[in-house]
Amino acid sequence: MNRVLARCFCYVSKSMSARQKLEAQLTENNIVKEELTMLDSQNTVYKLIGPVLVKQDLDEAKATVSKRLEYINGEIQRYETVLKEMERKSEQHREVLSSLQQEYQRAQGQAVGKA
Amino acid sequence: MASVHDQMAANGKVKRSKDLPRGVERLKEEHRKVVKDCRSQIEHWKKVENDYDSLQERLRTLPDKLSYDIMVPFGPLAFMPGKLVHTNELTVLLGDNWFAKCSAKQADGLVEHRKKHVKNTLDDLQKVMKNFQNRADFTDDLEKLTGADTGDFVDIREDVINEEEVTKGKHRLAHKPNSKPKLEYLLELEEDEKKEGDEERKTGVLSEEELWARLDELEREEELQDERYRLDSTDTNGEDTTSSSEEEKEADGGSGVQVNGHQKENGWVPTSIPSQMNGTNGSHPEDEDEEEECDEETGNGLPTIYFSHTAEFKKVRINTGKNTTLKFSERNEQKAQAKRKKKSGKSNGHSPHESYKITSPADIYRVFVDLVNGEPIPRKSILKSRSRENSVCSDTSESSTADFEERRAAFGRSWSHDDATYSDTSDGITEEESPTGTSPRANGRFEAFTGTVIEKDPLPSSIPHLTIAPPALPTIPERKLEEVGPEAPQEPPKRISKFKATRLHQK
Repeated sequence: MNRVLARCFCYVSKSMSARQKLEAQLTENNIVKEELTMLDSQNTVYKLIGPVLVKQDLDEAKATVSKRLEYINGEIQRYETVLKEMERKSEQHREVLSSLQQEYQRAQGQAVGKA
Repeated sequence: MASVHDQMAANGKVKRSKDLPRGVERLKEEHRKVVKDCRSQIEHWKKVENDYDSLQERLRTLPDKLSYDIMVPFGPLAFMPGKLVHTNELTVLLGDNWFAKCSAKQADGLVEHRKKHVKNTLDDLQKVMKNFQNRADFTDDLEKLTGADTGDFVDIREDVINEEEVTKGKHRLAHKPNSKPKLEYLLELEEDEKKEGDEERKTGVLSEEELWARLDELEREEELQDERYRLDSTDTNGEDTTSSSEEEKEADGGSGVQVNGHQKENGWVPTSIPSQMNGTNGSHPEDEDEEEECDEETGNGLPTIYFSHTAEFKKVRINTGKNTTLKFSERNEQKAQAKRKKKSGKSNGHSPHESYKITSPADIYRVFVDLVNGEPIPRKSILKSRSRENSVCSDTSESSTADFEERRAAFGRSWSHDDATYSDTSDGITEEESPTGTSPRANGRFEAFTGTVIEKDPLPSSIPHLTIAPPALPTIPERKLEEVGPEAPQEPPKRISKFKATRLHQK
């Protein structure tokens, strides 16, 4: 039981950290989107792919960033649901665990009483 | 912690477990941690902001020259002389592996935009820090309060034994229409809807009312003169109206109608005027919910008449005069409306009756609208009482104003003529009604008055609008006298105030 609980908890924390990362990316992409709107077509936009700066079209860049934003939002939602699920499960496990513990104590008490 | 525990145990606070102080400590620790985190984050973001500022400076100076001679870093350990060219072309990292070629000015704009974000973050952090700081302080205080040992805070309890004494003072306060102890008055009323509350209020009100009286005295004196002039001319009318108004009030079950003259006078200083007919000073109190009317005057030893009526919306006292407030009572309104219907009087400032539901301040202005020539004209100030026109009693005090309204509605607009002449003057004077001046007379009159309350039936159609306040003002005491005399014997059967008579005559 404890092991199951620990595993659950692990998973929860992992999801949490992943979600936090996503949140950071979300804010960053938001800023990029805003800054792209500030630029005009005269500026050349580059994307860093590995060690290479690849020229991109401004409109394309804007579209790409928007798509990425949507993707990030979706991911966050997914993680949210997973997190909730995990929490629920861990709660269940905890309850089971506590009830088992109570029984165990009672049994012990009886044993002591008998003895 | 240990000492605390020991102390607690020593004090016999056995129930306090050790966990509690420990818990509190832990809570405080957590708070402090959060605050510390916030502080460090704020530091970090402040640094970022500074960096951006210096960057902006650099951007502004960079395009000054076509090329700069600089020492170029060459590997991690060396530099070598070189030139910085294309000083206006910048490749800016937008974030998330996106770059853009911009000019220095455009880059400047981008930096500005980022700084905005940083500022927002900083503000949020500050807020959080302050919030947690407050929480920590609060837990500290809480600990002190509840902490047995630290006796910094002591719970002081004082049982009130004799409530009557406490409320006594309030009586008087309540009577003062514009006096503060409205709340007290209200409370008192709720407690004992009977005389007690009234009496008590009166006494309490006195002190405050005296103050109010002082304030109003000057005003009243000013207006008094005008009223006197007016009243002199229409003495009889005023008396009639006062009497009629009185009847009205009484009819209302003392819903707060007082002798017009006196009430108005006493509007602000009920206590100052010792004698009031029917002691309907209750209407004065600004407590609209006041239902009972008690003779404030009774406090002075005069017969006290207590009216207790069902909870009704007390007349709303709006300052129709300088210091008076119109008291608005549904009951009166209804009566007024009934009267009005009967009379189909001219519309003249009987706006209050139309929509008496006052639920918000705006309603007051909506309701108390002067109807001039049939058109509702919002009053410049509800403090100015047009009620004078209709009110029999010159006193524009709380009680009187309410009466004014009633009279206005109740009595047809036959008095409009008179009202018009007097209304303006009465406005100012109603308040004045120099309670001081009239009170003595009233007192005397009241003495004579054996406390008979003349219940006023809904003013018969014969009673004209009591639009004239002014005439009544100066002669309030006189009027009262007259009212007492003629009315007492006559009572309901024939109640045509002099005002009404005059009005009819004028018509």
